[in-house]
Amino acid sequence: MIWGALVGGFVGTLVLTTILRGASELGLTRMDLPFLLGTAVTADRVRAKAAGYALHFLFGFVFALVYYAVFAVIDRSGFLLGSLLGLLHGLFAGTALVNVLLPVVHPRMGTGFDAAGSAPLLEPPGFMLINYGRQTPLATIVAHFAYGAIVGGFIGLAG
Amino acid sequence: MRIERIDGYAPIRDYAAVGDGRTVALVGRDGSIDWLCLPDLDSPSAFGALLDAERGGRFQLQPEAPFEATRRYLPGTNVLETTFTTSGGSVRVIDALTLPTGGLSPYRELVRRVDGLSGRVPIRWSVEPRFGYGSMQTAIALHGGVPVAARGSDALAVLSWQAGDAEVAATSVCGHFRTDAGSSGLLVLAAAHEEPLVFPARAEVEARLEATMESWRSWAGGREYDGPWRDAVVRSALALKLLVFAPSGAVAAAATTSLPEEIGGTRNWDYRFSWPRDAAFTLQALLALGCSREARAFFFWLLHASQLTHPRLQVLYRLNGRADAEESELALGGYRNSAPVRVGNGAAAQLQLDVYGEVLSAAALYARFAHGLDRDHGRRLAEIADLVCELWPRPDAGIWEVRSEAAHFTQSKMMCAVALDRAVELAEAGHLPDAHVDRWRRKSALVREFVESRGYSESKSSYTRADDDEALDASLLLAVIAGYDRADAPRLVGTVDAVRRELGRGPLVHRYVGDDGLPGEDGAFVACSFWLVEALARQRRVEEATALMDKLVGLGNDVGLYAEEVDPPSGAFLGNFPQGLSHLALINAAAAIATASR
Repeated sequence: MIWGALVGGFVGTLVLTTILRGASELGLTRMDLPFLLGTAVTADRVRAKAAGYALHFLFGFVFALVYYAVFAVIDRSGFLLGSLLGLLHGLFAGTALVNVLLPVVHPRMGTGFDAAGSAPLLEPPGFMLINYGRQTPLATIVAHFAYGAIVGGFIGLAG
Repeated sequence: MRIERIDGYAPIRDYAAVGDGRTVALVGRDGSIDWLCLPDLDSPSAFGALLDAERGGRFQLQPEAPFEATRRYLPGTNVLETTFTTSGGSVRVIDALTLPTGGLSPYRELVRRVDGLSGRVPIRWSVEPRFGYGSMQTAIALHGGVPVAARGSDALAVLSWQAGDAEVAATSVCGHFRTDAGSSGLLVLAAAHEEPLVFPARAEVEARLEATMESWRSWAGGREYDGPWRDAVVRSALALKLLVFAPSGAVAAAATTSLPEEIGGTRNWDYRFSWPRDAAFTLQALLALGCSREARAFFFWLLHASQLTHPRLQVLYRLNGRADAEESELALGGYRNSAPVRVGNGAAAQLQLDVYGEVLSAAALYARFAHGLDRDHGRRLAEIADLVCELWPRPDAGIWEVRSEAAHFTQSKMMCAVALDRAVELAEAGHLPDAHVDRWRRKSALVREFVESRGYSESKSSYTRADDDEALDASLLLAVIAGYDRADAPRLVGTVDAVRRELGRGPLVHRYVGDDGLPGEDGAFVACSFWLVEALARQRRVEEATALMDKLVGLGNDVGLYAEEVDPPSGAFLGNFPQGLSHLALINAAAAIATASR
């Protein structure tokens, strides 16, 4: 079952990234998760993208294991439950994770407390990441919904 | 100099260009940035007042009191300095698109620094972005306290330091402030595309601006040209560098679309593409200036882009190498009501035979520079030569991309002969497979027979525009430049004289006179005027060439830039701006005189 979580985490992250990237290409959002994550560790754009993708997949595995733990506790799994968790995950990402927690730990992300400083700042995401485009909440939730369904589905299959 | 606009439009001559190798902004003498496409040169405009003064969007920055303006590029750079003088004092504005340095910088960054020189000068500024060529409603909101205009995958942040409080309205951000001697205000537009915005700190912007100036100075200082008109040549090199699309190495024909060849007319085209036709001129100029990196990148881009249509060469390609260039019309009023405003270019689908001669000439130049050609490139060039053997008897649209019926243009045929001659030379030097050399020779002789029998007028002592036609065409000057025959061959000497006599207007030269399938007339073509200089120089008529060159160098605008055309009576610029071909022709003309004078 844990292998199902890991494979699901990998495939789910792949799909989540693709959906967000596609939404970006379609002009629906400026959300770029690898860029956001990578610039937390380096200011170099190229390295930031590379590091961001690595971190993104790492978090994809971590969240899949959290899903796995939830399924183990309730002793049920499957893509429907996964979708539900994905929905919650997406809402959490938009309201707290990227909006509140990431700016706290991200050395280059702007917050309401920042004043004129010497370092460049990334545009803060805003509630439900709306600063990155009006369709960003929708794209984020759809992407996480798909991630959850895939992780739930793989864990169900492995179980 | 006082500033005058007609119906909100500045004369094309009044613009200067700043850029970063990815996009270009046009800055009016009155401090208004009326053209900026984001994120790239061929992307939709965010500021497009150049093509619609009401709806296009702009970034204005000027004294509130009546003023006069003088300007220059900071020596050896593409950084613009405009000095506004009012009755109460003077102020200097530095405009630049900064080059990225290490560290986290915005995706694109436009910097306007306002330095007080004397007295007190009230300044007002206003940023009115209109994404998507003015077609998209732009929403402005505060993100983290910074005014941000966003639409779809594009966003612009307006940052200001010592430039007054930013007043955010529904579709604009503006401010007022006063300068004193020694004061320094800073306005920055940070742009993002498909990513969150980066809000730079002032110290970083200042450092990046300094680094940008140094980078340009270093590049300009590395140019090897030491002949006459060095200032004009280096300025042309810098203008050309603005048109080199750094991500791919392609050279855009111009930074704009649809600046008209006739005010109020319909001859309005999108030049934000790269034309393989300009390949030989481009390589010749880049190599003359010692720009070996750019020459290599351009040649590789050329062969990479044309791979999709191989062995056929498309008339133009997008800057990223793609072949699609579908033409459409925008709902913009056009520069001084010169509609339609077009994006994309329908000429892409035309047959233009001269392209083949230019590309094989470019290959010959590159092979000489690089001491050889890549084996795969050699094979492909041989296949292109084979195609010329098939295509040359066909009528085509010619170098000027006429939209009238296809014809047997003499210059097109001449360039077919040049293509085959260069292929033979390259094969003999071992750079191309030599299996078809005899065929190339035979076909070249056939083409020449056609040109000499049907494309020459005994009565005019000149080659003619098309077969069995007595009209002339300035493109025939390229026969001298491309080496169709010895430069001093009697028929070429006669042609140069005839073109000057019939198409010359003072120092300027028209492309042709007569029907081209479009209503109206255009101005004199700047590149043709410099081609005449180069042709004269190659014919060792150095005094004539020098006298003409002196006059033409004086026709650039106050910062040394040229558009595509000049209206001979008024000297007004017409057509897209700044025009790469005009600057290429200037560089090559100066270099030809330098060579001929040695």
